[in-house]
Amino acid sequence: MKFIHIADVHLGARPDAGPMYSAGRAQELWDTFRGIISLCEEERTDLLLIAGDLFHRQPLMQELKEVNYLFTGLSHTRVVLIAGNHDYIRLDSNYRTFEWAENVYPLFGEELEYMDFPELNTAVYGFSYHRREITEPKYDQCRACGIEPFEILLAHGGDERHIPIDWRALNSSGFTYAALGHIHKPQALVKDRIIYAGALEPVDKNDTGAHGYVRGEITGAGIRTQWIPYARREYIHLELPVSPGDTTGSVWKKMEKQIDNYGNENIYRVSLLGKRDPDISFDTEWLGRCGNVIEVADDTSPAYDFEALYRENENTVLGRYMEHFAGCSEGSIEYQALCEGVDALLESRK
Amino acid sequence: MIIRELYIKNFGKFSEQHFYLHDGLQVISGENEFGKSTIHAFIRAMLFGLERGRGRAAVKDDFTRYEPWDNPGYYAGVMRFSCGERNFRLERNFARANRQVSLVCEDDGEELSVEHGDLNMLLGGMTGELFDSTVSVGQLKSRPGEELAEALENYAADYLETGGVQIDLNRAVQILKEKKKAAARALREEKDRQEDGRRELRQECAYLERDMEDLQREYEEKQGQMEQISRAENDRENAGWDNADGDCSGAEKFSADESEVKKAVQEAENMSSKSLLLAGAAGILIGILGLVWSGITAGLGASGSSLSFAVIAGLIGVTGVILLGCGIASKLRTKNRSIRAIHEEKVRKETKDREEADKEKTAGEKKVNEVRQERKRLEWELTRIQRQWKEKEIRRGNLQEQIDEFGPGEVQKALEKQCRALDLAEEHLIRAGQEMSSRTVDLVNRKASEIFAEITDGKYAGLFYDRGKGFRVWDGMRQIPAERLSRGTLEQIWFAFRMAGAQALQEEPMPIILDETFAFYDDKRTQSALKWLRGQKKQVIIFTCHDARG
Repeated sequence: MKFIHIADVHLGARPDAGPMYSAGRAQELWDTFRGIISLCEEERTDLLLIAGDLFHRQPLMQELKEVNYLFTGLSHTRVVLIAGNHDYIRLDSNYRTFEWAENVYPLFGEELEYMDFPELNTAVYGFSYHRREITEPKYDQCRACGIEPFEILLAHGGDERHIPIDWRALNSSGFTYAALGHIHKPQALVKDRIIYAGALEPVDKNDTGAHGYVRGEITGAGIRTQWIPYARREYIHLELPVSPGDTTGSVWKKMEKQIDNYGNENIYRVSLLGKRDPDISFDTEWLGRCGNVIEVADDTSPAYDFEALYRENENTVLGRYMEHFAGCSEGSIEYQALCEGVDALLESRK
Repeated sequence: MIIRELYIKNFGKFSEQHFYLHDGLQVISGENEFGKSTIHAFIRAMLFGLERGRGRAAVKDDFTRYEPWDNPGYYAGVMRFSCGERNFRLERNFARANRQVSLVCEDDGEELSVEHGDLNMLLGGMTGELFDSTVSVGQLKSRPGEELAEALENYAADYLETGGVQIDLNRAVQILKEKKKAAARALREEKDRQEDGRRELRQECAYLERDMEDLQREYEEKQGQMEQISRAENDRENAGWDNADGDCSGAEKFSADESEVKKAVQEAENMSSKSLLLAGAAGILIGILGLVWSGITAGLGASGSSLSFAVIAGLIGVTGVILLGCGIASKLRTKNRSIRAIHEEKVRKETKDREEADKEKTAGEKKVNEVRQERKRLEWELTRIQRQWKEKEIRRGNLQEQIDEFGPGEVQKALEKQCRALDLAEEHLIRAGQEMSSRTVDLVNRKASEIFAEITDGKYAGLFYDRGKGFRVWDGMRQIPAERLSRGTLEQIWFAFRMAGAQALQEEPMPIILDETFAFYDDKRTQSALKWLRGQKKQVIIFTCHDARG
């Protein structure tokens, strides 16, 4: 039995992707999803498992029809899906009334239910969110019933407010495979057994790293899974070291070079780190106009030798001022205040 | 700083006079009006210049006071001093017309610039006011001015020497304030930008709401139509019975019509056969009468004419017979025909009837169908509207969610952090300044206490000053306000405080100039004070009229 496990597709989301890619980003989420459907068809995948948050918000009828149309194109694959916390089944949700194609099996109940596929020797279990938040660890009590040789749990959650998941409990619940969603970073809690496919495409600037889907095969011999990167873009937090010799112009150059290195198709959040010339403040707004950069944060501090400065000014107001911030750590608001004050005091000499 | 020589070219009562001074304590004694105070004023004028007052103040100011008695256009002097192992020559011309100042390092001949602060630097930043408040104690002016207290407080706050460079605390605070203003502006702009985004979404929401209202109206309209149809249908169902009655009467009317038609046809046909019969009968009658008439006339003897007459009469009679025959035939035929016609008419009418009934029946059916279709269409419309409305409702909900999710961006967070940091910096800068000044004040208090204890031979262990309470002394048991003490002791308090201030504030030790300062001191305390002064290893210049005191 071959399956593909995806999660957190977030259709309908409009993620911030910098000046260059933001406009087309919503469509890219759809394109990648279409790609997965084509892949299922090409590979004659038996089951497409969608572990929640297929939609970013309440699905519109037109979106459901679009998705369903894609599903009808699958001549071999059966689709099982659940609703997650983003597309939870609200009282007026279109999920409640939508008529799916024959090969689509939604597990939209609030409590655990399963869909039996005897021809695949497989049963898929799962339930859906009917509210935005569920704090009870509902998956801890889920058990495979043993109706089929292969039993899969389709689950969504794993943080405090969205069904906390104890992977040990899940590991001993009898499921052959737990297809998890909600956490956008792909990760295997237990190798080949309990896996977060991660978001299909990154949808938030904090969804850094590669994104994709899980391809798996369950046979009498056991289960084998493989995580496959598939997203067309990555969010990259680029840390750009800066030295006192740098200016906004030189930083731009450095940034461009790094972006070239890491790929122009990706989306960047840049932090400038290190010591800058105390006389220079970087124009982060201008730097942020670089096409695929969402924002540039100036986390540098002026290149003061605080120890020497203190030694020279111990008995003056400057020394006194520095004493006020003794021991504060770099990056803290106190450190920033220290730099600002020293800046002002030294500037007052001019 | 040690003053080596005063060369008074023309100042007050002095003209072309040299006074040579040395390091350590020295006494310049002289009788009243010797010019001790003039020398004192000359030192001050050389160090800090002689500013002319304006207007009325000018009448009493030092400039006027020491304007040379002879030749006021020549108003000048020279001071030679050493400072940090180097010797300098300071020359000033105070005269209004050609005011001049020059400072030359005598060791290397380097010309220094007083305008550019070189002298100020040699004086360690000391100002005339501070000079008056500390080292320079004029006659009956030993109470230090408010300037000292202020200077002490501002000392740390305003101008501090840091590796030879001055820090301006007030300016630093101002810089922070300006930076804060800029950051706050940027923050506001950022928030505005976000608000714009939110406004756009809200506008989209508003459009959706308007669409939804339109749909609602459309729905109500369609629903009204639907109700109308339902009402009409109900009406028709009730009216079904009346319609059946109508049909019956129609049928009756229809049969009545039929008989009338029959009658009319019959009448028409009867008329034509009747006229034929009448004409025939008349012809026969005329023929018979003609034959009779011919027989009569033949009997009378007119055979030729009577023969032709009989022929004509016979012809008429034959015609009459034919006509009669025709009339009878016609009558018979008419009768037959009218029966057939009636029958045909009847059949025709019946067919027509049936057709009309059928027509009416199909029309009714069509109407019912139409209504049914209309209803179906309306139902479909209503569902469509409902569906569209819901779609928009969900979209609106999603947008609302998006609006609610609008959190502060990284830029905003960074700016907010910067604002907080700037506030924090300003707060601490001001506090550090206050701490520095109170540290200086503490230092001065401590020093003053030491000096005062030495002069009073340990009678008073403590001397304090603060701006609110003025001077107070501590005799080991209580704090006593200085005003309650004797004039002599008060003078000693001031002296101690001035000397302490000078020590605390001066980078460069300045000569101490005392003009009849010990007038109120008893011998013992004068000795103690002189002893203390000697221990200072500074240049001390004492002006006195009491020769013995030296």
